Amino acid sequence: MNSFLRKNTVLLITLADITALFIAAAQGMEKKDFVITLLRGLAVGSITFLVASGFSLIFGLLDVLNLAHGTLFMIGAYIGWTVFVRPDTFVDLLTPLALILSGFALRDVYPLLATRIRLGLSMKRILPWALILVSILIFSYILPRYPISFWDIGTYGQSPVTYSFLADQGTRLPAQVALFTEISAPLALIGLLFASIIGAFGISLFNIETQQQFKLNWKNFIGFAILLIVALFVFIFNESLTTALTGLGSNWLFLIAVVVATLSGAGLGALIESTLIRPLYIRPIYQLMLTLGMSAIGIEIVRAIWGRPEFVMPKPAFFNGSSEVCPAANFADWWAHNCSTILLLDGRVRVYNEIFIPIIGVVVLISIWMLLQRTRLGMVIRAGVQDREMVEALGINVRRVFTMVFSLGVGLAALGGILAAPSMGLSNAMGESLFLNALIALAIGGLTNYPGAALGSVLVGLIQQFIIKYGQIGIAIPFTDIIFKPTPPIVPASTVLLMVIILLILPNGLLGKKE
Amino acid sequence: MTQQPNSRMSAFFLTNRAALFTLLALILLPFIVGLMDGESPMLVFANQSGNSKFAQGLAIEIFILALYALSFDLIFGITGMLSFGHSMFFGVGAYLTGISLKTLGLSLPATLGLVFIAAIVQAVLFGLVLPRVKGITFALVTLGLGSVFHIVVMSSEMGPYTGADVGLQGVIAPAFISPANERLRFYFIALTILILVYLLYKRFVDSPTGRVCIAIRENEGRARMLGYNTFYFKLAALTLSSLTAALAGFMHAIYQPIVSPNVASMGFTVTALLIILIGGVGTLNGALIGAVVYRLLDFGLRRYIGESASFISGTVYVLFVLFIPFGIVGTWKTKSFQVKQGWDRLRKLFG
Repeated sequence: MNSFLRKNTVLLITLADITALFIAAAQGMEKKDFVITLLRGLAVGSITFLVASGFSLIFGLLDVLNLAHGTLFMIGAYIGWTVFVRPDTFVDLLTPLALILSGFALRDVYPLLATRIRLGLSMKRILPWALILVSILIFSYILPRYPISFWDIGTYGQSPVTYSFLADQGTRLPAQVALFTEISAPLALIGLLFASIIGAFGISLFNIETQQQFKLNWKNFIGFAILLIVALFVFIFNESLTTALTGLGSNWLFLIAVVVATLSGAGLGALIESTLIRPLYIRPIYQLMLTLGMSAIGIEIVRAIWGRPEFVMPKPAFFNGSSEVCPAANFADWWAHNCSTILLLDGRVRVYNEIFIPIIGVVVLISIWMLLQRTRLGMVIRAGVQDREMVEALGINVRRVFTMVFSLGVGLAALGGILAAPSMGLSNAMGESLFLNALIALAIGGLTNYPGAALGSVLVGLIQQFIIKYGQIGIAIPFTDIIFKPTPPIVPASTVLLMVIILLILPNGLLGKKE
Repeated sequence: MTQQPNSRMSAFFLTNRAALFTLLALILLPFIVGLMDGESPMLVFANQSGNSKFAQGLAIEIFILALYALSFDLIFGITGMLSFGHSMFFGVGAYLTGISLKTLGLSLPATLGLVFIAAIVQAVLFGLVLPRVKGITFALVTLGLGSVFHIVVMSSEMGPYTGADVGLQGVIAPAFISPANERLRFYFIALTILILVYLLYKRFVDSPTGRVCIAIRENEGRARMLGYNTFYFKLAALTLSSLTAALAGFMHAIYQPIVSPNVASMGFTVTALLIILIGGVGTLNGALIGAVVYRLLDFGLRRYIGESASFISGTVYVLFVLFIPFGIVGTWKTKSFQVKQGWDRLRKLFG
């Protein structure tokens, strides 16, 4: 005990200071203000944690400072919004996506094929480029002509803002079903499949070593077949699927949106790691620049597809009810009427923003903790964070774990995005501000420390919300009559200052280990 | 090349002929553009508006960007400190110039002095952080300091001074250097400053201090083992860099009608990173070439493509990282030997 105290003197003093400040801050508040602020702080902390934990896992294991994490968070939110508000667009997109991916599902077959083909040296050099060029040409011919019912960011009546508003009213109208007019349907489908196979073949030709022995992996064909069946099924039953999705009601749709956003985030993460980041492990500083560039590209893509104006995402009906008894007095009451607000200790609390999100945060915190502590994968990750080369030397395929961790991290960010969307709204800047929060949280808690990420996120959330609250009610400065009101711009500045101070005292953060 | 380089003078001209040609081209640029447009050099001298004046304006912007990128190359490429708060150096220079000219009503030399003092103060501020943190944590702390500055600039309390999110407007430059009426003079002043700073940087990198800075980039622990107090060398590099960036900000505030708060944001640091990545990290002339390429690319894309220009520049950036990691200058340096061999072979072929 004594030695523990002596070792962690600075940490304990810092924690005590923060606690004392917190108690002092809570003194001047009424009880209801306090409850609301506390819950809001926890909510912001939870969202920050979802971004920060993925970021810290990636940084800990891969040593990649993924500066595109905020953008991926934003992309998760926008994808979730699409599924939730425009299920018809989502259904329309499934077929081409499945077809494009199907070619890449056969990735182990191509090398085998390539060893059978005998070609001259110059042809061998030209062939991959030629194949990729042909595939790009086919894609660029078909994809713009492929009918997808879509919003139009140019006209207000069909903009995402309008559709959000309509969905809030309960009408998810599949405006008009887009039809194959410019191109015949079978031609489009077969063309996409063909272009995808050719493109994947071309890409796989780049990294073939002829000495290697290739085995046919039957899983490839199963994956290919599943993708094809999904594509055809969705294509044939397009309209009935859309009506079924719309008929499910907003609660189920929200659940589907969360799942789809998380999964597509994870898929995107795996794609980015395996194609872009993997060649750069030998040049660490360039990964940082690459992710910076990706972040710029991601923001531009979002601007091109969903437009620049901010819009809100309606809450699912489960959290959005209103009747005479609202705000609900207790949880049983809330369960019966699904009120959007609830009275807690006289404070009027929004159920989704301030209760549901912190609960999800805790659930994710615990499940990732279990994953890290109780599974084999978690063991490899923890060992890899400590000493990557040693793990590699023990014969564990760390590269595969890298891809998994990257996709897990991005998936968590995307989950955070879709969860934050109904409370924060969707804007091009949402990723940036939240990413700054997450960085601050990690710097406070310790960059590669999982509990540190949680502690830092909660601290950042609480501090921001308390300062916002004090901006409304004002701080009475002791021994004077002056009431000081911090203005909103000071909110991020305060957490940044806290970060700088903590880093100066404890360069590795509160819970980070000394190197 | 029949003439033998017998004197030191001609040897100097021979070894530096590329730089000297570039210099000559830059001096003649306003007049050449004017002639191409059918204006006589006298009209260009009288600052007649036309293509020449426009080209001068673009060149001035490139000079300012190049100064800023040079200063970032010194601390990132030469000394190896990744700072994400570099736009703060530029922003302090730009905003302080604007405020002191507009609100305080100081004269130009006094403003310049004030900017330099502020630059030294903030370098010391960053320097305070130095001994405690390094690597990624240094990047985070500087990111924090930079974003606090950005937030302060954007806040409504500072609105009367900084113009908040609209930007600082209405800075009136003294008449003898006004970018509207005396642009040619401004052009030559900016060119001179850029050349002087570049020469100073070259001298700095070749000096013993600069060599230690490079040693710090390669292996800080080893440099310390050899008995150098690395802190002072880092602080020297930071101070020089901060002074240069503030000078660039000073020129920016005088040249541009509006100082937008974007110059204090994280995005502007990324611009510097992008420029020296295009040019070549750690090669000083890479920063100059990178600034030219970046500004012209940006200008051309915005003109012909419009809104989605930053998508293209982001893509260019990613492609550079993946395929040309040493930038234009770095790749040229590694390839120039092969190129020379190729030329020799060609010359032999044709006799």
